[in-house]
Amino acid sequence: MSALADTFSNFIVRQTGARNARVIDFSKLSGGAIQDNFGLTLELEGGDRPGRQEFVVRQDAPSGVAESLSRPEEFRVLQAAFGAGVTAPEPLWLCEDAEVSGRIFYVMSRASGTASPRKLVKGDLTDDQRRHLVRRLGAELARLHTVRPPMDSLAFLEMPTGSNPALSRVALYRRYLEEIGEPHPVLEWALNWLEDHAPEPGPTVLCHCDFRTGNYMVDGDELTAVLDWEFAAWSDPCEDLGWLCCRSWRFGGDDREVGGVGDKDDLLASYREVSGADIDPAAVSYWEVMALVRWAMIALQQARRHMSGEQRSLELALTGRMVAQMEYDLLNQIPELEEGQ
Amino acid sequence: MINEPDSRDLLTEARQVLLDSLVPDLAGEQKYQALMIANAMGMAIREIEQRAQGEPDATDRSLSQFLAGHQLPDDPSQGEQTLARALRDRRLDGDDPELRSVLKGMTEARLRINNPGFLK
Repeated sequence: MSALADTFSNFIVRQTGARNARVIDFSKLSGGAIQDNFGLTLELEGGDRPGRQEFVVRQDAPSGVAESLSRPEEFRVLQAAFGAGVTAPEPLWLCEDAEVSGRIFYVMSRASGTASPRKLVKGDLTDDQRRHLVRRLGAELARLHTVRPPMDSLAFLEMPTGSNPALSRVALYRRYLEEIGEPHPVLEWALNWLEDHAPEPGPTVLCHCDFRTGNYMVDGDELTAVLDWEFAAWSDPCEDLGWLCCRSWRFGGDDREVGGVGDKDDLLASYREVSGADIDPAAVSYWEVMALVRWAMIALQQARRHMSGEQRSLELALTGRMVAQMEYDLLNQIPELEEGQ
Repeated sequence: MINEPDSRDLLTEARQVLLDSLVPDLAGEQKYQALMIANAMGMAIREIEQRAQGEPDATDRSLSQFLAGHQLPDDPSQGEQTLARALRDRRLDGDDPELRSVLKGMTEARLRINNPGFLK
């Protein structure tokens, strides 16, 4: 570990032009099966960033999975988001020379607070603090969604095929189900419903695609950083809004539809104030259904990784057994939406 | 061959030892892993119990009746496959309350094993 700390420290010394650096703390951070995240605190002498500095170094884990963005791609997405004013870790330096640490990595600023969903949802925030946080989430998404194609630096992100991102997703998930091979009548039924009820598409924007409680840091009632950008894609703004509100991400705060924190009215009001865009709540509800299907697909794929022997893991195996929860939510939520229409 | 205490009993007792004697002394990642193990054992216990009560046969029977009533082949070992295929091919009306009830029955049967606390 300490050799790795020295490697990263030396890299940062070269980037900042510091005379010297002392490693104050270096530790592996939790989270991320695909990436290793390290916290690195340095005392830098001279250079661009003198003094005590807290960084996060993110690099591919040995068992990298090819489905999400590469580290350099993620770094460029983070630059685009940060540049648009999203509260994300500041992307500092990308090292594409695998000789340096053995893998490609990048360095970003470290945010304060915690991303723990339980602490946030079960925590003792007042109603006003919750509203403040939900409004902040709406504002962050509104700023992110100002990033629009084409962008040279994000040319690696594929444009959605077809004229409606929702229908592209339906086709993709049907293909996934074919590949998985296990029959899932509830998911087939939900995909038919999604095909038949697709709303008019919104603009094509940069979506985070995993924007949910657990993937943003909070210090007190202040959001300090939106994390985990490896699934970013061009899509419909409602994909992010629906994912954030999906029942699976309320962590026991079921009646607070925005990530177990607060109300959708506050989210959409703040989104409108920052973006000028009036989002139809029905479209968000539709994308919440899509989110349940997507999470079920991810869970099925994770279980396959375990069962195929590619990555034996109790956690992946148990995730496979969660699919019935998403199916149950679909069977309840779709009739509720129909009744509300 | 009688071999007692049976597998349900062994698993139940082992899970209880894990939760009562070991988990309280654990923290962080190790506690998380121990709770995952207890969760997996709980599912296995409930699966054995459900089977003893005739599940999943009861769910399979209602599926089989539904398929027969819709002129679909009802080979018992292929019921879910047949239903999934018929839905994919748009041969069934998604609004049909009978269909929805069959889907719900199958899902609830899974949840009674995987996570009974999730059933409302």
